[in-house]
Amino acid sequence: MDFDLQVKLAVYHHFAATGGRPSLDQIAEQVAADAGAVLEAYRRLRAQRVLVLEGDGASIRMAPPFSGVATQHRVETGGVAYFANCAWDALGIPAALRMPATVHSRCEQSLEPLRLEVTAAGPGSSDWLFHCVVPAARWWDDIVFT
Amino acid sequence: MLFFRSEERVREWCRAQGYPMRPLVRMDQLWGLAEAWYATRLEPTSRRPQPSEMREIFAGLGLSSVFWDPQSDTFD
Repeated sequence: MDFDLQVKLAVYHHFAATGGRPSLDQIAEQVAADAGAVLEAYRRLRAQRVLVLEGDGASIRMAPPFSGVATQHRVETGGVAYFANCAWDALGIPAALRMPATVHSRCEQSLEPLRLEVTAAGPGSSDWLFHCVVPAARWWDDIVFT
Repeated sequence: MLFFRSEERVREWCRAQGYPMRPLVRMDQLWGLAEAWYATRLEPTSRRPQPSEMREIFAGLGLSSVFWDPQSDTFD
């Protein structure tokens, strides 16, 4: 298997199993490579928009739909708690894990809490809305803001 | 990319923040986006949708304005 794909899958499966981001050393051990080689893979995966890295180039900020840092979008499933990068990714986590989940978030204007049950068929009936201010062509200009 | 309780809450938020109001997305449409982007994300063959595929996904969910065009430069 291609090395970058091994690294990508190791990162994603760590998030899926634990809810949190892996350390550089954990991924290096997982793929049986040195940290420098994993950092190079991280850079290539960032260029492909697969990962978003922190300023240190070694810590994973995003492996969409998973967030490496705490956010207002929390997802619970299978006894594990996850953070999502945004409202879209909050539904992306149960879609990726293919497990029923509970999404906790909020209305950005009123701060009213949102609790959304999601099954394999999607979220139950809900009149809540999703809104994005950044047009699709600009999403990756600043993906953290988007 | 945020949740809102209603269209009025979106309108209030955009006005307060100085952002233009963009197309609103229902929860069933958002689930369609989540599945299209992420249903295979943990699998070795997974890849991000290409621009032409993105257009098809958006259009299939009724999201067809220029806002959703991943290569448009005329969205403002």
